[in-house]
Amino acid sequence: MIISAIIIGIILILLFSVMGIYNRLVTLNNRVKNAWGQIDVQLQRRYDLIPNLVETVKGYMEFEKSTLEAVINARTRGMAAREEIQKTGGTPTDASIKEIVGAEATLSGGLGKIFALAENYPQLRSTENMQQLQEELRSTENKVAFSRQSYNDQVMLYNTAQEQFPTVIFASMFGHKPAALFQIESEEAKKSVKVAFTHQ
Amino acid sequence: MNFWEAQARARGKTKVYVAAFVIITVLVAIGAELAMRYFAEDSYSPDFPVVGLTFMAITFVVALFNYFMYSTKGGSYVAESVGAYPVSNPPRNPVEKQLLNIVEEMALAAGVPVPAAYIIPAAQINAFAAGTNPENAAIAITEGALTKLNRDEVQGVIAHEFGHIYNGDMKISLRLAAMVMGFLFIIYLAMRILQFSGLRRRSEDDKGGNPVMIAALVLIVAGAITWVAGSILKSTVSREREYLADACAVQFTRNPEGIANALRKIGNDSTEDMPKEGAAFSHLYFDEHSGFSSLFATHPPLEKRIEAIEGKEYLPEEWKKEL
Repeated sequence: MIISAIIIGIILILLFSVMGIYNRLVTLNNRVKNAWGQIDVQLQRRYDLIPNLVETVKGYMEFEKSTLEAVINARTRGMAAREEIQKTGGTPTDASIKEIVGAEATLSGGLGKIFALAENYPQLRSTENMQQLQEELRSTENKVAFSRQSYNDQVMLYNTAQEQFPTVIFASMFGHKPAALFQIESEEAKKSVKVAFTHQ
Repeated sequence: MNFWEAQARARGKTKVYVAAFVIITVLVAIGAELAMRYFAEDSYSPDFPVVGLTFMAITFVVALFNYFMYSTKGGSYVAESVGAYPVSNPPRNPVEKQLLNIVEEMALAAGVPVPAAYIIPAAQINAFAAGTNPENAAIAITEGALTKLNRDEVQGVIAHEFGHIYNGDMKISLRLAAMVMGFLFIIYLAMRILQFSGLRRRSEDDKGGNPVMIAALVLIVAGAITWVAGSILKSTVSREREYLADACAVQFTRNPEGIANALRKIGNDSTEDMPKEGAAFSHLYFDEHSGFSSLFATHPPLEKRIEAIEGKEYLPEEWKKEL
């Protein structure tokens, strides 16, 4: 009688701790998704602004077709990677992050070039639309950069929790995988972000 | 010394300062009581230290009341009381749009909710953050700062204000300001009593020391001593926290030049037109524009701040790597 009560007690305690582990992982995973969402919103906004920009400068920069094409291609790449993340449940994988980082580097470089070139066209530079586009693109770029830190913090918490005992036993059982860090790997990518926009 | 140490030390020190405030108040109250018994020997000899207790009670009640007022009304109240106007969404012009963008960017960088943004109608370069916690914070910047600084510099200034929010400085500043208000109120009250008892004395023509009058004089002296001591303490706490807010600005923007150049432009800018209503909140400003540093200065000299920023004095190692 007493023994069976103890056994039931132990089973209940185990059950509750597994529930706790399950819920904790879900919470941490949601935080990662949420933090990614912050970045995703900005990327979306960026990708929405680019056709507008291309439309605005197209007439002025016939000779800079290659830059425009590079920007458009980078946008397409980034959008595809974004959709991939959304389809797989909102937790980014290493491959998709790498795609986005690459696309962002090309985008930033290309946009920087376009805005630098626009300086040579006073008429284009002074249009309100162009100024608004420059401010919005710059702000979204900053926001992506500033959201990276808090996203990476959440990823670290989530990934560390998966490696810790006893969570490590259940993590993959409950379908959790380490999330990808949003890191700008090469020094070049970092630099291209820095020089992306000229001072106003 | 790195940032975390400096931050921990500043927090620890602040506790010491708040304790010092309380101890000074108690000591001055005892002093006032003794003075009262000495000067008004014949007419004042109650069993309880009436004057000392009154002094303490009034100071603490007024301080608590002020603190309560500041904390319930939040940052927007402070911003509006210095004549700043809110930047609503959608913004009315590109300058306002840029300000909102920068505030949103810095909220992301600092990991705090987006505070309300205000513009102060003044031509000098300045800004402040107010509120008691990140949820009710407001950030205000002058029109002058928006026109005279470029985007990176405005970002540096806004990031500095976010540093105050992030470090929880606003709460401490308001607490200290509330205590100083308590001492000021004692002086005001005693002055009023003095006026009143002076009038009465003439009409009644009683002889010798009027205990009420002596009590009022003792309270004025006591209030003045604590007020001066309190102001010095308030300024000391505030100066230390400026360096930390500057370090935060570098971390949030990852761009030491932005804030350093903004400080340089302030140094070269001679406009002096901050709204007078803001004097009580001088410790909240980005810079106080006093031109000289003293015991009462709430901000360190600009050159020292620029030096600390460019020398990355307060920056933790892990932040330096990202620059």
